[in-house]
Amino acid sequence: MQKAQRLLDLAALLLRAPEPVSWREIQEQFREDYGGSEEAAIRKFERDKAELLELGIPVRYLAGDEDLAAGYLVDKDDFYLPDLRLPPEDLALLYLAGSAALAGGAFPYARDLMHAMSKLSFAARAAGASEVAAATAQRLSRGPEEQEARPAVAGWLEQLSHAVAARKRVQLTYAGAERREVTTREVEPYGLYQKGGAWFLVGHCLLRKALRTFHLGRVRSLTVNGAAPRTPDFPSRKDFSLAEHATREPWEYRNHAPLTCKVRLDPPVPPETVASFGPRARVREQDGSTLVELTATNGAALVRHVLSLDRAEILAPRPLRDEARSVLARLARKVSA
Amino acid sequence: MTRARRPRPAAEGPPPAKAESRDRLRRVLFLVPYAVRHPGIPVKELARRCGVTEKELLDDLDFLLGVGCPPFAPDDFLDLYVEGDRVFVALHQSFSRPPRFTEGEAAALAAAARALGGEGVERAVQALRESVPRDRRDSFDELAGRIYAGSPPARGSVLGRIQRAIAERRALRLVYYTASRQAEGERVVRPYTLASRLGHWYLWGHDHKRGQAVAFRVDRIRECALTDERFDPPADPDLPSRLFSEPSGEPVRVRLGPGALAWARERPGVRILQEGPRGGVVEVAGVDDAWATRFALSFSGDAEVVAPASARRHFAEAVRRALERY
Repeated sequence: MQKAQRLLDLAALLLRAPEPVSWREIQEQFREDYGGSEEAAIRKFERDKAELLELGIPVRYLAGDEDLAAGYLVDKDDFYLPDLRLPPEDLALLYLAGSAALAGGAFPYARDLMHAMSKLSFAARAAGASEVAAATAQRLSRGPEEQEARPAVAGWLEQLSHAVAARKRVQLTYAGAERREVTTREVEPYGLYQKGGAWFLVGHCLLRKALRTFHLGRVRSLTVNGAAPRTPDFPSRKDFSLAEHATREPWEYRNHAPLTCKVRLDPPVPPETVASFGPRARVREQDGSTLVELTATNGAALVRHVLSLDRAEILAPRPLRDEARSVLARLARKVSA
Repeated sequence: MTRARRPRPAAEGPPPAKAESRDRLRRVLFLVPYAVRHPGIPVKELARRCGVTEKELLDDLDFLLGVGCPPFAPDDFLDLYVEGDRVFVALHQSFSRPPRFTEGEAAALAAAARALGGEGVERAVQALRESVPRDRRDSFDELAGRIYAGSPPARGSVLGRIQRAIAERRALRLVYYTASRQAEGERVVRPYTLASRLGHWYLWGHDHKRGQAVAFRVDRIRECALTDERFDPPADPDLPSRLFSEPSGEPVRVRLGPGALAWARERPGVRILQEGPRGGVVEVAGVDDAWATRFALSFSGDAEVVAPASARRHFAEAVRRALERY
């Protein structure tokens, strides 16, 4: 019998059974499947149980007592998707977020996300308005063709999702931006993050022996260690915070000792300009202007950011202010030439 | 009527690949309860719901005909048939609802939700966590910590209100910053949906003043309040397929040094026209002069806007004005 069918039959049997089903009885019902030596049959059944759990079907073993024989069952409360009991605006959030993520064309666990979106209609009462909105979100979030064509990145994301979940090592060939050379790296993948519409892998690079970030758009090839798929290659890193790493601004990359910097923004200041300095910037109003104070460990990146903003200037420290001026003076000569 | 019931068929051909077969299992665990709940659902619609082609759906249904429950007496099989173009599945006592979310499903949805943000986001994530089987909740926590789909727009409460307005079909009063006019103004908007483009969230809805549906960048909304005006959203086919109008006008061209070029090529929408050891020229369509200036200046002195003439002037003027500040 094909495995897919066996798994569903097994699930149906255990769901319908009023009391735990003994191993003997399971063997009896699936004679062709769990035949052969006892040891091999049990191993096969354990593998099937593991796969059912991955599908969201938890099979439990219940030790017997005087009233009940020992056996396996699927706890119905722990199997059927419950109603999420969320207020409509929270449901709208899930629908909109999921649809937009799918429409973006590249998202980790995209298949899982698709299944989750399907199931959502069972976990939500009166989702009508949210569902219509989500369908529209999906269409509107899809970009023009040239921006949509990111099959390579979507493929890397799919493979990396599995590697990240199972903690399997990956090998990638990577074209660095500045060195512009292609290197082959072994990486222990810790997580995936998105910034500015691009996806990044962060992990321990065995070549550089340090934490490294990889832009998925620069990955040329990728393979996941296929040996022992259910055994992790490296321990879980509890001390590593992906959110913290992902929200690092370029001027927070460690290039030099920390510098306290001040930036002035003159009105009108768009809200997104203030937000662009990140969660750690200290912002206050002074004489009608907005003052942003922050700590930079990569001053050059802060200069680039401030130059790209309208009505903004670096007040301190002096060397960064001088650098901004010399860049602008050079550009002014270029454009007037 | 083509009513089908048949004994479990022998496996035909080679077994499907592992990932494929798992995907099918997950799909049918949704398909059966969905079809039970929507008796006579058209094949086409059920296929769309499941994210497969009609042919794949019919294959899934074929596969399901063989699924039963020991001892495999006729009544132990799934009662399923296709009549005309419609699918009927009799109430099945085992698969009346889909299984709980797997940790991957819940974690992916949680990551997407956190990138959108809003007042209720942690409440929603908690509810997702509780809909994962008990044994898998630790794995969910771990996995949810390994995907970060982006920082939500700064002010959470704005998003919370927009989400509520969409769900309750109520109009919003906004104070919105318009970049092209560098000014704030009040608008009344019927919110249809939120959409995401290139790392930014947009509210898409009908603007009373302009009499048409337009996109508002969420991080430019300064204030936002629900009104008592209720509305019916337009029917699906009336909605456009694009957030913005087609790119019009001449594309902008920017000359970049070699270092800047290496970074620019990864940005979405950038097309490389010329490339050599001393850098190159890129083209971006559908953007305005101000965008081109910001883009070029984000490379410090390593880039300049070269065309069209109006964008070049805008760039030169921005450089001159910025230099005056120093």
